[in-house]
Amino acid sequence: MQSTTNEIIRFEHVSKQYPGTLANDDVSLSIHKGEVFALVGENGAGKSTLMNLLYGMQKPTLGEIWIKGSRTGAQHNPESAMRMGVSMVHQHFKLVPGFTVAQNILLGHEPKKGLFYDEKAAVQRVRDLSEEYGLKVEATDTVRDLSVGLQQRVEILKALRTGADVLILDEPTAVLTPQETEELFVVIRRIVDEKNMTVILITHKLPEVMRISDRVGVMRRGRLEKVLSTAETNEREIASLMVGRDVIFDDLRTDQRAGKAMLELFNLKALNDRSLPALNGVTMCVRAGEIVGICGVEGNGQTELAECVAGMRTPTKGSISLCGREVTGQTPRRIRENGLSYIPEDRMSMGMDAKASIAENLLLGRQRTKEFSFLGLHLKKRRINRHTKKMVHSYDIRTSGIDELTGSLSGGNMQKVVIAREFEFDSPVLLVCQPTRGVDIGATEFIHEQIIQKRNEGCAILLISADLDELFRLSDRLVTLYDGRITGEFAAGSIDKESIGYFMTGGYQEVSAE
Amino acid sequence: MKGLMQSIRALMRLKPAQKITRDYLISLLIAVSLALLVGAGIMMITGHDPIQSYTALVNGALGKPRAVGNTLAKTITLCLTGLAMSLAAKAGVFNVGGEGQLFLGAMAAAVVGAKVQGPAWLVVILSLLAAMVAGGLYALLPGWLKVKWKVDEVITTIMLNSVAIYFCSYLANGPLKTAERGIATGTDSIMKEAAFTPLIKLSNLTTGAFYAAVVVLIVWYIMTRSSVGFEMKLTGENDTFARYGGISTGRLMLWSMVFSGAICGMVGMLEVFGLHKRFITTVSNEFYFDGMLVAMIMRYNPFGVVLMSFFFAVLSIGGKSMELSAGVPSELILIVQSIIIFFMAAESGIRTSIVNWLSVRRARRRAEKEGA
Repeated sequence: MQSTTNEIIRFEHVSKQYPGTLANDDVSLSIHKGEVFALVGENGAGKSTLMNLLYGMQKPTLGEIWIKGSRTGAQHNPESAMRMGVSMVHQHFKLVPGFTVAQNILLGHEPKKGLFYDEKAAVQRVRDLSEEYGLKVEATDTVRDLSVGLQQRVEILKALRTGADVLILDEPTAVLTPQETEELFVVIRRIVDEKNMTVILITHKLPEVMRISDRVGVMRRGRLEKVLSTAETNEREIASLMVGRDVIFDDLRTDQRAGKAMLELFNLKALNDRSLPALNGVTMCVRAGEIVGICGVEGNGQTELAECVAGMRTPTKGSISLCGREVTGQTPRRIRENGLSYIPEDRMSMGMDAKASIAENLLLGRQRTKEFSFLGLHLKKRRINRHTKKMVHSYDIRTSGIDELTGSLSGGNMQKVVIAREFEFDSPVLLVCQPTRGVDIGATEFIHEQIIQKRNEGCAILLISADLDELFRLSDRLVTLYDGRITGEFAAGSIDKESIGYFMTGGYQEVSAE
Repeated sequence: MKGLMQSIRALMRLKPAQKITRDYLISLLIAVSLALLVGAGIMMITGHDPIQSYTALVNGALGKPRAVGNTLAKTITLCLTGLAMSLAAKAGVFNVGGEGQLFLGAMAAAVVGAKVQGPAWLVVILSLLAAMVAGGLYALLPGWLKVKWKVDEVITTIMLNSVAIYFCSYLANGPLKTAERGIATGTDSIMKEAAFTPLIKLSNLTTGAFYAAVVVLIVWYIMTRSSVGFEMKLTGENDTFARYGGISTGRLMLWSMVFSGAICGMVGMLEVFGLHKRFITTVSNEFYFDGMLVAMIMRYNPFGVVLMSFFFAVLSIGGKSMELSAGVPSELILIVQSIIIFFMAAESGIRTSIVNWLSVRRARRRAEKEGA
């Protein structure tokens, strides 16, 4: 088949079958030279799979992939992809933390002087590369000491080292602050405009798609729904294509006065799993009827904060009071009894038992109540089943049956199980962490509505999330956390996403009086 | 013992199953049939008639009332030890020290049964309690180390086996050695009236079976129908989640271990009161390890353990008589048991690859049909 002049990559009727799921279903797509092509879709829509096929990490079950007019054969692998000029930056970086930037970038292709690594030549080569593409890095820095944004730059340079002209970026902004995202976009624009490169961006953040891409391909359930020119579409159209129905992103909040303080932290200090200080004196409070959102780049103490509040981690100093009672250092059970429900950030290891059924997951915490057991010992199976069915219905958990193992549900439905269990306790204080991580748009919408409803019922909610859009959409008050300290506190609407990044990365605000 | 430990290590990798599914039963049936077939093959190679030998095996285990009695008695031992293992494993602790707990239980029961004066029923009850307390307390130590200091309970329990066995052996040879003539090593005999009486003449099946039945029912109930069993299951499968949900996982693990030990102690007591009427150093011949195997093969499912115990008892009792009547060495039965374990260990891997292969083939067919 003849390729059009500026076509660089073509998928022809590509399907990929995984055991049990059809990850790509008859995808035909052509990508042009010199464009930023955004590939969007919900989790599990098949975006990453499609790109893995292109990069040679996996082989298509059916169909053909053409790169620059030549067909990739059965021998296609990342090495041959790179030879053909296709490079990929994965979501999780593949860098050696103890090596310098130069060593990482040139890994496997180090310049040699005799038998030995030629440091000077390596540094020079990295400087040349960095200049050529306008990606500023310091060649002699150790990767461990770099921020996430800089590490990503190193990854990109590593991908470009081989002279690639097609760059695949898998969810590149997931770990970046707004400033870092902005810088990344400048780089992308530059290499596309000046170097005439092609960038394929896998993402599910629609504002970014609108901001950076030339064309956008929307995937849903393995199929390529539509390819649109970014200039001729809008977020709402893309979102409804992704979900398969209309999605309404309205502000869900209704005005409400915050009540009395339900959760108070005073000078809270704690260590992380490696016994290093993670919380360095956090003082804050959450009132009834408000959502307080914690903004911060991941790894700045959010996890430890949540675990301390829930009793899963013992603080080294400070105090926590819940509904007016001191609960510092008590067991998770006592804290629950005192009125806390907790949606943990890691649902697979803490939020649920993947090997237990939906019914069992929903039962935890209630197994000794009068409602579900006789004398706290004999489980009332029929009651439990009835309750489970009710929950499955009212929280819209898509399942083949209440005995299905929770681990076999999709991410969104797993999260609904966790939320159904925790929200049904009717606790006055909710600790909600990463409620929509890995959850598709449809379920996200539902979960947000549930959280808002809880707030409107008068619950005090502490929301921890890495998703700024989510925080801004839900929170009444925003608190920035950096290096285990609170660096700022803002009423909703008094700050925008761009300026808050300053506080998330260590900028400091004189703490405003309550 | 060495081979046994290896089987145990292989099976330790198998995590407790959600429940025994139809697929699992089919795999089990296939594994058992294949193992019996391999056994038949070996018989043919060594010049024995497999049909005749297997007939001899079944006859030896179930042919006469006395044989049935012995088989049932063996079933009870396997079943109780298997359930003891299952109870702890369900909560995520591996009690490999049941053998030692059994010895201590037997010793405690023998001492109480010999020293305490009173009505027979009281002696029985006191001995039973003493045995369970001895076994339970002996399990408490590794349990506590596990919960408090995260010391691997597999290692501590294995090691404590030897301590208990040799300690009992010392007692039986030394301070508590009986003055009766004709007993090389053993304690004084227990009160005559308190000993269990055979239910079937000349067989090992005694009234102790009723006590065993009660315990089996209780364990089955706790594991499958109660809130405690539910908490144990969650703790065993994901203890972070269990703790997060308000379960006191440490306490639960400790109690599971103690109950597991208590059941082992009780097995010791049943042996003493049913069979030997005193403590002797051969009171158990690695009974607990056989029970562990059964428990692991059935993935700690109580009902499954009962069934599999019966099957293993038939193999074990019938194997001996097969050796006598058909001349097939009873080691063959060990081979059959090992092959069953082998296939069960490979079971999930084999099944997954078959399922994958089927789904890929189905998709390809569908795609071809659509393409055509």
